[in-house]
Amino acid sequence: MEYAVETFSLTKIFSDWWGRAKVYAVDDLNLQVHHNEVFGLLGPNGSGKTTILKMLLGLLYPTKGRALVLGGDGADPKINSRIGFLPEESYLYRYLNARETLDFYGRLFGLSAKVRKTRIEALLDMVGLTAVANRPVGTFSKGMARRIGLAQALINDPDLLILDEPTTGLDPIGTRQIKDLIRKLVERGKTVLLCSHLLADVEDVCDRIAILYGGKIHTQGRVRDLLQQTNKRQITTDAISDATIEKIKQLIRNEDADCVVTSPMDKLETFFIKTVAAAQQQAQATSGAVSTTKISDFLTRQTTSEDILDKLASAMVSQEGSPESATTEKVVPVESSESQPDEQLLSKLTGSAEPSQLEPVVRDEKVTAQPVESEAAQAEQIKKNILDRLTGRSRSQGEDEEQTDKLQAGDVGDA
Amino acid sequence: MHSIWAIATNTIKQAVRMKVAAVFLILLFVLLPVMGFSATGDGTLKGRLQTFVSYGLSLTSFLLCLLTIIISIYSVTSDIEQRQIYTVITKPIRRFEFLLGKLLGVVLLDVVLLSLFATIIYTITIYIPEFLNTTEAERIQANNEFFTARAALTVPAVDVSREVEDTYRKLERSNALPDNISHEEIIARLTMQKQLAKRAADVGQVLVWEFDNVKPRDPNGNLFIKFKYDVAVNPPDMQVYGRWFAGDYQYIRYGTESETPIYDRIHKHSVRNFHEIAVPVDVVPEHGHLAVAFLNDPLNNTVIFFPPDGIEVLYKADTFTGNFVRAVLLILFRLIFLACLGILASTFLSFPVAILLCLVLFSTACVSGFVIESFSFMSENISVIYSYTIKLVIQLLPKFDKFNPTNFLVPARLLSWSLLAECAAVMVCIKAFLLLLLALLIFHFREIAKIIV
Repeated sequence: MEYAVETFSLTKIFSDWWGRAKVYAVDDLNLQVHHNEVFGLLGPNGSGKTTILKMLLGLLYPTKGRALVLGGDGADPKINSRIGFLPEESYLYRYLNARETLDFYGRLFGLSAKVRKTRIEALLDMVGLTAVANRPVGTFSKGMARRIGLAQALINDPDLLILDEPTTGLDPIGTRQIKDLIRKLVERGKTVLLCSHLLADVEDVCDRIAILYGGKIHTQGRVRDLLQQTNKRQITTDAISDATIEKIKQLIRNEDADCVVTSPMDKLETFFIKTVAAAQQQAQATSGAVSTTKISDFLTRQTTSEDILDKLASAMVSQEGSPESATTEKVVPVESSESQPDEQLLSKLTGSAEPSQLEPVVRDEKVTAQPVESEAAQAEQIKKNILDRLTGRSRSQGEDEEQTDKLQAGDVGDA
Repeated sequence: MHSIWAIATNTIKQAVRMKVAAVFLILLFVLLPVMGFSATGDGTLKGRLQTFVSYGLSLTSFLLCLLTIIISIYSVTSDIEQRQIYTVITKPIRRFEFLLGKLLGVVLLDVVLLSLFATIIYTITIYIPEFLNTTEAERIQANNEFFTARAALTVPAVDVSREVEDTYRKLERSNALPDNISHEEIIARLTMQKQLAKRAADVGQVLVWEFDNVKPRDPNGNLFIKFKYDVAVNPPDMQVYGRWFAGDYQYIRYGTESETPIYDRIHKHSVRNFHEIAVPVDVVPEHGHLAVAFLNDPLNNTVIFFPPDGIEVLYKADTFTGNFVRAVLLILFRLIFLACLGILASTFLSFPVAILLCLVLFSTACVSGFVIESFSFMSENISVIYSYTIKLVIQLLPKFDKFNPTNFLVPARLLSWSLLAECAAVMVCIKAFLLLLLALLIFHFREIAKIIV
């Protein structure tokens, strides 16, 4: 399994009623998406981006060629359980509310009720829809529906995330959030395949891109390689005196090169996020989505505690999980160190050096802290039970306590 | 399995929240009690009960059939047309699980609604006699002829082929055969004559019928001789006397000693109508071989004969409740079939077309007996090809009219478990299963996504 996604002369011809070939939607496509990268499919409308994604997922059958997704068939349930898919529009059941929607998708993955509950709350919090979680999805605006669509794509903590125009209909904060999420997932070793024609978004997050036209790839490669102007250099400094600038200009002229000096512009995105953060600070009421740039804990950890729960639960059933529980004990402290850079990231995103100044964000953090805590408590309870069973009469009471202590230390750091 | 269940519960939620089911529910909730008090039938308590049960069950069955067709089609086609299926089918679920989930949801909804309305109908039926001013006689009649499940013993047509042959040869020898009539025609006419003779009793003559395996449920109850007189000459008041015997066949045939009592009474009944005589069950001998005899009383002045379906022995074989439950199960089988049909139609048709197709097939199935008969008549006249194509298709349809619950409940006929099992085997296990299999195949190979470029 060399590539996360690989296609071999994938072709899709749409024919008319008489079977005559009408349109080559995808034409002899050979695509390789490496593991652990963000790959962007770019192209104008009707260039076959969505058709490619649909063929990868088995929603359309290729006319010729084949596609391998995570080393297998994209319609195979085993492969599907490791994929998250966000279609070009959020097609949701209008009569379900946000929480029920996520619960439905969670059940399709066979997640246990406990895991579903914690993940749903975490995801709802992440996409800022906790306040409207009991409203039917049919009453949501396009952006809000998009957020639920994103949440459903993440409920299984996928290894490969396939996003079709992920940022359409989203406000800039949501867009920023998706971009951060994508980067965060890739840091954790996940792969993201997205297609879009919003070039700014693609430029920010993609490692490699392919530009499609008429179902054919016209250019592909690393974003940096494709866009870097190797014949130019840029220097950014703090505010310095005009005299120093003159000296620098003199140095550059000595090399027979030209130079322009300006103050750098803030990106509009950064400016917008700053403004909204300020409004949130004044606790302005909104009926829409409460945008935060936060990312759910279970998506950012190396090993999620849900996984630990799952493992422990299975261990409890089989009653032979001592090596497994030993490894999980080691994992817990690692989690706590993981959550540190998260907070830094958060404060960076909200545009302020000290996160404590941003009251709304802090308030939100409290909300997330609760499920994590109770989840930790549950994990602790289950682990305790398991340890009791495993050690039972053979192990000493003292050893038992020591293990619980270690666990608690990890949990405190986590919370 | 968990994904099938997730789809099923989602389908039920859809049906409930999209208010598709609500319309039907309100209609039934209003109509059933109203019918309970407005249905009068022929004015007697029995007629009232028959009318209510017949209309109540038919209405429930019809509305639930429509509901099943609509929900099963809507829940699949809307998922495809509104594309929720994109996010569902790309989850770890196989396509057949998706369809089975939809089917399970529809069937579960049917089971809940059907049991709800069956309970309502049953309760109203049981309480109708309590709420009405009825005479004791009416109540007894209702108990005997409605609140029961009676097995019917009929008399098979007597085999007269040998006698017919003899007569034919005799005629042939004496050269008395008419020239202008074909051989088959003569045989048919002779057969009819001979059979009629077997069912006819001249004045003072006795007719005997034997019934085997008579096993009444209630040792203190009655069994019923149901009959219809036809006469050669109309009596002045259109009534005739008949002396009826019932008991051990050995006594009636050969006059040997009988351990069980023998029924022997003279009745006066009008001609050309069905009547019932109640006979105490203790006349049935231990071995269950019962004989019924009719003596054309000398007071009459005419030959009396019984039409082919003119004599039956009925006895209580089960309770009304048992019969009612089985009748409701018949409706459930019908609903399961329609759910499979709806799912099949929605795998390759859009909503309106699928609805149309299912409604056409549903109404054809409701009159399947008539349709099959008319086609078999045509096939003799038109062509063999015809009967090998359309007839096969029609025979694949279930026979909703044959397995109509009111056919059993209104005349209080026993709907036996074996008949129910036959219906389940044919309608659900074979026909519905074939439809489902076809649906799964089509759905497995079709492209889910719409073609958009």
